[in-house]
Amino acid sequence: MRSNMSDASALLQVRGLTRRFGGLLAVSGLDMSVFPGEILGLIGPNGAGKSTTFSMMAGAIEPSAGDIYFQGESLSGVPTHAFAARGIVRTFQHNKPFESMSIQENVMVGMHTQVPLSMWQVVLGTAKAKAHEKHARAQALHWIDFVGLGEYAQADVRTLSFGQGRLLEIARGLAAQPKLMLFDEPAAGLTATECIRLADIIRGIAAQGIAVLLIEHDMPFLMALAQRVVVLNFGEKIAEGSPTQVQADPAVVNAYLGQVKVDHA
Amino acid sequence: MKRSWQWLLALVLLSALAFGLGSYQNDVYRKLLLWITLALGYNFLFGIAGQVAFSHFSFYGLGAYSVVIGITYFGWPLPLALLASVVFCVVVALVVAIPATRLEGFYLALATLAFAQLFIVLLNEGGQVTGGTGGLANYRLPDIGGYRIKGAAYTVVIVVLMLSTFAVLWRLDRSHFGRACRAARDNPEAAAAMGVDVRRTRIIAYTLTSALAGLAGMVYAFVDNTVNPTIFGLENVFLLLFMIIIGGIGRAAGAVAGAILLYLLPFVLSPLIGHHHALVFGLVMVLVVLFQPKGLMGLWDQWLGHRFLNGPGAQVKPSNAKQHV
Repeated sequence: MRSNMSDASALLQVRGLTRRFGGLLAVSGLDMSVFPGEILGLIGPNGAGKSTTFSMMAGAIEPSAGDIYFQGESLSGVPTHAFAARGIVRTFQHNKPFESMSIQENVMVGMHTQVPLSMWQVVLGTAKAKAHEKHARAQALHWIDFVGLGEYAQADVRTLSFGQGRLLEIARGLAAQPKLMLFDEPAAGLTATECIRLADIIRGIAAQGIAVLLIEHDMPFLMALAQRVVVLNFGEKIAEGSPTQVQADPAVVNAYLGQVKVDHA
Repeated sequence: MKRSWQWLLALVLLSALAFGLGSYQNDVYRKLLLWITLALGYNFLFGIAGQVAFSHFSFYGLGAYSVVIGITYFGWPLPLALLASVVFCVVVALVVAIPATRLEGFYLALATLAFAQLFIVLLNEGGQVTGGTGGLANYRLPDIGGYRIKGAAYTVVIVVLMLSTFAVLWRLDRSHFGRACRAARDNPEAAAAMGVDVRRTRIIAYTLTSALAGLAGMVYAFVDNTVNPTIFGLENVFLLLFMIIIGGIGRAAGAVAGAILLYLLPFVLSPLIGHHHALVFGLVMVLVVLFQPKGLMGLWDQWLGHRFLNGPGAQVKPSNAKQHV
C-alpha cells in the first residue's frame, strides 16, 4: 500500500546511491524512500550493503555516486555533525554512551542542536542561559521516562546493563527531536523481554510521526515490527513491500530467507 | 542571587588576606593565585575537553611577553597593550589549534610540546624584541588613572583574575558547551551523531583556555617585573601537569588543591632536603598515577563515601540487626 504513495511525500529519498570501497561495489544504484511515521526495515544477507547504506544515510560516509535527499534537499557534502540538526539521528550497534556523564547529561547532549544560547550568555550566566538549562534538564527527564529509565536518571552510565544502554541511546536520539531515526541492529544482544519492550518503544516513536529505519538480523522481531521492508543483495535492491509480500518473494527466499524456515500462515 | 553573594564573599576574603600579609608573603600568595588560575584553565583543556596539550604554560609566557613588548618596545599605552596581547594570544591559539585539533592523544601531545619548545627558542633568539636569554626587565606597571597599583592592591587584581577564570570555566563546564566538550572526549563519533561539531568544540576549548592562560601571563608580567625564557621553560610546563593530575583530573576543586599543594610543597621541603624536592615530586607523581589516579579528589570522594557508610546514620543498622537476632 505504501508503494502507492507518491515520492513527493517522502521524507528521505535515495537516488542512484552507489558506494565503492576500492574495487568492491558495496552499494550500487540504490533507489528507495522513507516516509514520515513509517517503520521501514532494511534487510539482506551479510555483505549486502545494508550497513554501508545506513552509514551514508547517517552521514558517516559519503556516497561515491548518487545522492540522498532529505525533505527535498541534497545531503551531499553535509558534514556528519550537521545531520542531527537536519533531523536525522542514529543509534549505534555497539552502544556509545558518554561514559563520564550521568544518564540525564547523556540525554542532554542529544539536545545540543536546540541550544539557543551563545557562549557569552553562558559565561555571563544570563536568565536565558539558566532557563535553557532548566528546560534541558526537564526535557531530558521526559525522554528518559519515555524509554523507561526514569529511576536511573542520575545514575552513572557505567552502571547500566547492555539493554539499558540501548534504551539510553534511544532517549539521547529522541532528545534531538529527529524526523528520521536510524537504528543499527537494535535487537542485537537484547533478551527476549527487552526485545518486546524495544518494539513497543519503536512503535511509540513512529506513532509520533517520526520515520524509523532499522537494519536487523532478527527476522521474527523485524517482520512483526516493520510496516515495509527493503531487501538488498550484492548492493542492489531485490525486493520491497510489506513483510508478507517480501517473505513470499522467491528472490528474497532464494537470497536470504531461504536459510530460515518461513511460516506462510 | 545566592551564587553571586558567594563569589563576592570569596572576593572579599581572598582580598582581605592580601592586606594581612607582608610583602614577601604577598609575593608568594600572588604566584599561588596565578598557579591556581593556570591549573583551572589547564584542567578544563586537559581534564574536561580531554586534549593532551603541553602548550598551556607557553600561552602564559606569550601573554606576559606580549604585554611587556607592547609597553616597552612599541611604547603603547597599557589598555592597547593588553588588548593587542589578548588578540595575539587568540590568533596564535587558533593557528596552533586548527591543525593540532585534527590530532589526538599522543600526536597532539607531541605537536604542542614542539610548540612549547619552539616558543622558548624564539624567546632566546628574539634579539632586542624579547631581550634574548636575559629576557626583559626595567619596566613596571604604568599608572592607571594617575594611580600606581602595587603591593596588596595588585594582589586584589590577581584575586579578581582567579575568581573570574573560575567563574567562567565553572559556568561553561555546567552548560551545553561543557557537555559537548566531555562528549567529544568520551566518544567523538557519538558526539558528532548528536550534532556536536567535534573539531569546532575542540578549537574553541583550546583557544579559550589558552587565551585565559595568556591573560594570567599579562597579569604575571607585573608581579616580578621581569620576564625571561627560563620561567616559561618545560620544568613549569610539567609542574602544571602534575598539579592537575595530583589534584584529580577533570575536577576544578582538584586543580585548586593540586596547585596549592605543589606550589607550597617546596617551601616546606626545601629547608628540609634542599633541592632534592624534585625527587620527592617525581616519586609522588609515580605513586599517584599507580595507586590514586583520581588524585586528591579521589581520596576526598573515598573519605566522604567512607563517612557516609560508617557515619552515625549507618551505625544504627548493625545494632538493630543484632537486636533482631
